[in-house]
Amino acid sequence: MGELQLLYNYLIVGALLFGIGMIGFLSRRNMIVMFLAAEMMLQGVSVSLVAWGRFHNDWGGQVLVVFIITVAACEAGIALALVLMLFHRAGKLDIAFWQTIRESNQPRFVDHELPADDQAVGQHWPQLTPSGIEPPTKEEELVHRIHV
Amino acid sequence: MLGQQWPYAVATLLFAAGMWLLLPRARPQGRPIGAALVCVGLALLTLLVHFGLAVGVPGQPYWSWQAGEPSGGAWAVDIVFLVLAAVTVLSAVAAVTLRSPVYCAIWFGLTLLGTAALFLYQGAQFLALATVVVYAGAILVTFLFVLMLAQPEGDTYYDRLSWEAMLSACAGAVLVGILTMTTLQAFRDPGPTIGTKAHSPQAAQARAKGILASEHVASLGGQLFSTHLISVEVAGSLLLVALVGAIAIVAQATGNRLDRPGHAAEIGRAEATGHALGGPTHG
Repeated sequence: MGELQLLYNYLIVGALLFGIGMIGFLSRRNMIVMFLAAEMMLQGVSVSLVAWGRFHNDWGGQVLVVFIITVAACEAGIALALVLMLFHRAGKLDIAFWQTIRESNQPRFVDHELPADDQAVGQHWPQLTPSGIEPPTKEEELVHRIHV
Repeated sequence: MLGQQWPYAVATLLFAAGMWLLLPRARPQGRPIGAALVCVGLALLTLLVHFGLAVGVPGQPYWSWQAGEPSGGAWAVDIVFLVLAAVTVLSAVAAVTLRSPVYCAIWFGLTLLGTAALFLYQGAQFLALATVVVYAGAILVTFLFVLMLAQPEGDTYYDRLSWEAMLSACAGAVLVGILTMTTLQAFRDPGPTIGTKAHSPQAAQARAKGILASEHVASLGGQLFSTHLISVEVAGSLLLVALVGAIAIVAQATGNRLDRPGHAAEIGRAEATGHALGGPTHG
């Protein structure tokens, strides 16, 4: 490949990574998968920057990617701390749980269609026959047990 | 010459339709078709971009190849790049569309390895190493830790639903299509400045002494600690601030959980609001 062909091939790969990451960020509902998609968009930008740096024989592209990696590490640390905190509050990673912070004139989001394959996922845990006497549980423990 | 533009639209549309079928939806039919459509769309894009397929250029046969034949021995190099790009992009598709977040993280790890290999292919040795060490070694493992802490039960309903899968697939595909078109339009007929930079032997010599020099890490470190010294200091401070911030956030969360007496009631209230908001209660 010539240098020019190398450049635009890399730019297209970067654009694809960015686009796929954007699709994931817009459509997925699990907060951790959303952050994975955001990191993927950063990867796409890094690929483009390295290609430009090589084409122009300039170290700026690679230096900028070093800083992108630094910022991505900071972002991942803080984002995962936030996700953990939100999980402690909500008990699930669903981003739709936090729709109360939407704009006041936006309609409420309601799940209309639920996944039809609840039984078809293939997780059939073995069930033991209950035996003995069920101990009395306190109400407070029941509230906590949801989050364990 | 770029030729007519509808092949790019076709490739983009195929890619968008495939992504829509692949994304988690309530009715999961058509995932193999979606995978096939994504592969066909990406293959068409490869033909257009890498092999220079052009349709309907005036004065030439209807189908023509604009990129020219690769010179002797270049096929192997081309194949290495194509395999690396295919691994990167396809594992990115899998990382975004699979339902189990653990599989998403693992496929994202493969994307990172592919990106590192692409960096290495460009001669960016330090960045390839840093991507593997920092991203795949640290960030991805942190993701997996949080996943294990937060979602030990595995399958959940919200991993099997997406927001507006069709709209987001179309948005991403339109972005990719526009970027592809503009990039190729700019580079298929390069002006004299870009052409000199790309093809002249002086530029190749400068590259061999500059960004492709054998003392790669030393040169990069020299740049980093001379021209960009202040940025390095700022980045270090940013890391410190992020560390403090993450600790503060987590400490506040655990303080909420353990220390405050009325906390159980608060969690109960949050649960109740969640149910009242209409989220599905099972799963």
